[in-house]
Amino acid sequence: MLLGRLGLGAVFLYAAYTKLKLPWITFAATIEAYKLLPESGVVFVARTLPWFEATLGALLVLGFGLRWVAAAASALLLAFFAAMVRSYALGLQIDCGCFGPGDALSWKTLIRDGLLTSVAVALAVASFRTSRSRARPMEPPWSGQTS
Amino acid sequence: MCSRAALVTLLVLVGLVGCGRTTPETQSSATAAAQPVEKASAAQPEATPKAPPAKQEATPAPNPPTTERSTSPTPNPRPIERKRTPSSNDAVAPLVSKTLGTQSAPITIEVFSDYQCPACRELYLETLRPLIDNYALTGKVYLIHRDMPLSQHQYSRLAARYENAAAQVKELEKVSTALFQKQMQWSIDGNVDRVVAEVLTPAEMRQVRQMVESGKMDAAIDSDVERARTFGVRQTPTMVITHNGRSDPVVGVVPYSMLRQYLDELLKK
Repeated sequence: MLLGRLGLGAVFLYAAYTKLKLPWITFAATIEAYKLLPESGVVFVARTLPWFEATLGALLVLGFGLRWVAAAASALLLAFFAAMVRSYALGLQIDCGCFGPGDALSWKTLIRDGLLTSVAVALAVASFRTSRSRARPMEPPWSGQTS
Repeated sequence: MCSRAALVTLLVLVGLVGCGRTTPETQSSATAAAQPVEKASAAQPEATPKAPPAKQEATPAPNPPTTERSTSPTPNPRPIERKRTPSSNDAVAPLVSKTLGTQSAPITIEVFSDYQCPACRELYLETLRPLIDNYALTGKVYLIHRDMPLSQHQYSRLAARYENAAAQVKELEKVSTALFQKQMQWSIDGNVDRVVAEVLTPAEMRQVRQMVESGKMDAAIDSDVERARTFGVRQTPTMVITHNGRSDPVVGVVPYSMLRQYLDELLKK
């Protein structure tokens, strides 16, 4: 779980970096190519998503609020993956947008992002289970014994 | 907790330093002569029909328009990078003058496109046309057209030759518009000549045909393709926007209103 958390966090931080080092219009063009959002939505996502990714990445690396952060990361990656699958099925020749421009949408990027999504979901599930097992009070060893 | 807080602070600082913009570097590259403002005239052409070139079947472009990728193996398949050299408002002038606006404009936009690319068509008709009217002709943007004919498009290089020749007779905008508007037509039959002849005068058309047939326009096209390589451009359309010595790529079709918003932000800086 530690490796998954750190790895996923590093990926999110890197993804945020590749987007933030370029102006928002570059990422906006990539989002626009998916033909999913209205223009106002495209601009909003282009300006805010990289910071959200950076925040998620930092929190994952640090291990703060792991359950909810992992859940948020899973939801985000699931949404990305669904959009990618849709665009690939439609035959759109576009960039993935995952790590900046030049990362073409292909079956390789689908597999890559599918794996990342799986890791995120597994991390979220594991963190919820771990939290639940910690919350359950320990039963005394003599409970359940009959006299 | 204190150590965690310190770590968070450090991470935020590193993020701000790493993700924030660095100071722009001004480039002292060679300057080209200032280009005059150019706008297409409204001349009515009298076309003389010419036998179309040998044609082969070409498959129509797919819908909806998406960016086109080069299918030729590239010697340096790196992702697009933000370039600082050669970049600045003293952008390398194309061999053939395919510019609109004044070179002293604060923003330079180099548009790499393929005339047979549907996404390039959409970009030109929906985004660049209003951009030309509202930004290039008002001195805010220096627009440079760069040809990047993709190997999978059978007639795009031929169209680029005609466009370069048209630029030599100062009818770049008119011919570009005609080529994109009738893209579906000539993409199928390869009759670029007819489309261009419809918008030029007979005298202009004679000059254009002469230049196309001489093969001299290929040098200009090859120069543009080489420039695309220096920026790592592998898709069309791609706009490379240069402001204050910094060049950033924008790949794909961007709505005019979005591009305008970005350009206005740049102009305020």
